[in-house]
Amino acid sequence: MRFDRPDAYWKKDVALFFSRRFALFLKMLYPLAIIVPVAASGMPAKYAAAVIGIVAVMAGTFGAGESLTIDLNDGILVRVALTPLSPYRIVFEVLAVNAVLDLVQLLPALLVVYLLHPVSLLWVLAATLAVFATLVTANCIGIFIANFTSSPADVLLYATAILFPLIYVSGFFRNQHPTGIMETLRGFVPFAYTDDALKTVFGLSTDTTPLEILVYPTIICAVLAFAVCLTAPRLLSQRL
Amino acid sequence: MGDTVAPALEAKNVGRLYRSSGRGVSDVSFSVAAGEVFGLMGPNGSGKSTLLRVLSTAMAADAGSFRVGGVDGLKETRKVRARLGLMMDRPTHYNDLTGMANAYFFARAYGMDEGKAGGVLAELFDYFDLAEYRDDKVKTYSYGMGKKLALIEALAHGPEVLLLDEPSLGLDYTSQLAYQRRIRELSEDGVAVLLASNQVDEVESLCDRAAFLHRGKLVAEGTPEDLISSVQGVTRIVATLRNPVEYGPVAVVEGVQRIVPEGSDLVFHCDERPGVVAGVVAGIVHAGGDIVNLSVERPNLEDVFVKLTGEALRDEV
Repeated sequence: MRFDRPDAYWKKDVALFFSRRFALFLKMLYPLAIIVPVAASGMPAKYAAAVIGIVAVMAGTFGAGESLTIDLNDGILVRVALTPLSPYRIVFEVLAVNAVLDLVQLLPALLVVYLLHPVSLLWVLAATLAVFATLVTANCIGIFIANFTSSPADVLLYATAILFPLIYVSGFFRNQHPTGIMETLRGFVPFAYTDDALKTVFGLSTDTTPLEILVYPTIICAVLAFAVCLTAPRLLSQRL
Repeated sequence: MGDTVAPALEAKNVGRLYRSSGRGVSDVSFSVAAGEVFGLMGPNGSGKSTLLRVLSTAMAADAGSFRVGGVDGLKETRKVRARLGLMMDRPTHYNDLTGMANAYFFARAYGMDEGKAGGVLAELFDYFDLAEYRDDKVKTYSYGMGKKLALIEALAHGPEVLLLDEPSLGLDYTSQLAYQRRIRELSEDGVAVLLASNQVDEVESLCDRAAFLHRGKLVAEGTPEDLISSVQGVTRIVATLRNPVEYGPVAVVEGVQRIVPEGSDLVFHCDERPGVVAGVVAGIVHAGGDIVNLSVERPNLEDVFVKLTGEALRDEV
């Protein structure tokens, strides 16, 4: 598989990810710089989990949102959209490759967390998948926002408006013991499962089982990915 | 029953107006046969780019229809895209990738085989004198090199129809010759070319037919020879001046219709009448101009446009 001659959109993104060496260094460094001190400190589990969750949410939202809006501004995305490639496939590849690259950024820091707070392999898998689900969800939000703006700065603004209520509902800081409608809503936000899985990793037990963490976010992300791919014709159209 | 060959590109009553300005194109119809090079000329804002956006499927038409190789351009966009080779006026690339990586990505996006893509691209990079730079990142390319890369991306997959927007703008002389030679070769091989350009020499030398767009409408169409022959009694006087001068007073010389600056030259569109050349020269000298070269030429497509619309094809100063 050659990335110096990309023959697919996702390979092009991988090639670009590794081509900017200083940016790559920073991208790999900042999750470690934030997460490792948190994991090594005696911070209460719920706050340590929240910090990692927020890092994942931010990395995901600005991953696809930023790269898409930059490409929209350059006009290159419209040029790619004028090839015979399916627009739905292009958007799916944007989503998938950005989520995976975001996970690559976070994985070293997560491994340090697992080393400092050993848990069963099942919980390691569940927590890692939950973080990936958070990244997919956040990237879906970034792509959705790119439908309405071609400015990376606007992505930041709009993302804040969308993420704040989701972060609230997911229980990172508030709504930790929800009941009624808030409990139901929390079940539909993938961030909540990341929060529960990471709390468990940091030694705080929750009612959520590893199976629930493996299944529910996967289903929610599949629905979100499908929905955001449906925006492809609008997203890739010429902005005037 | 005789066989009828569908035009490679056929536009019927195509319209697309921008709500914000009310500008765009309306009721544009033309066709380009396989192997034909069709020039599209018009000043800024005439609708050339809008028409190319519609024909490249970047933008849907409000009215009318178009077909590429018989395929409906509004309904079967992906099939149409596969048949088109596109070069936009402003070349855009992934600047952190190499020239070859960009070209390879697009070649594969158009469905070229892995093995074939490498060979074809190597030949095109060599043809356009970019072989030496093919493994350099595009952000190090000059504007002209970016244009050549865009041409390579447009040509590599062997399209049936080429849509080229100002392809030679920014190319050096050698590259212009290479590009024109390649367009002629492709035309001989049956590729239809729609060339949007205001380079009069380029359109006259390359195009089998040409059309003028003015305020969103097609105002004339024909072979360059026929269009030019329609301009009776017009003389072009091209004066190269050592220094720029205020040439307004020359406009009142009897017989002068219009003055258009072209680079360091002043082009005078004049009635063909005795004494007009002497009048223009006297006017320039009177205005303080130092003439270093003067030529009296036959009319060209620009004069046709002036006659048709009363406006200049290129911006006046």
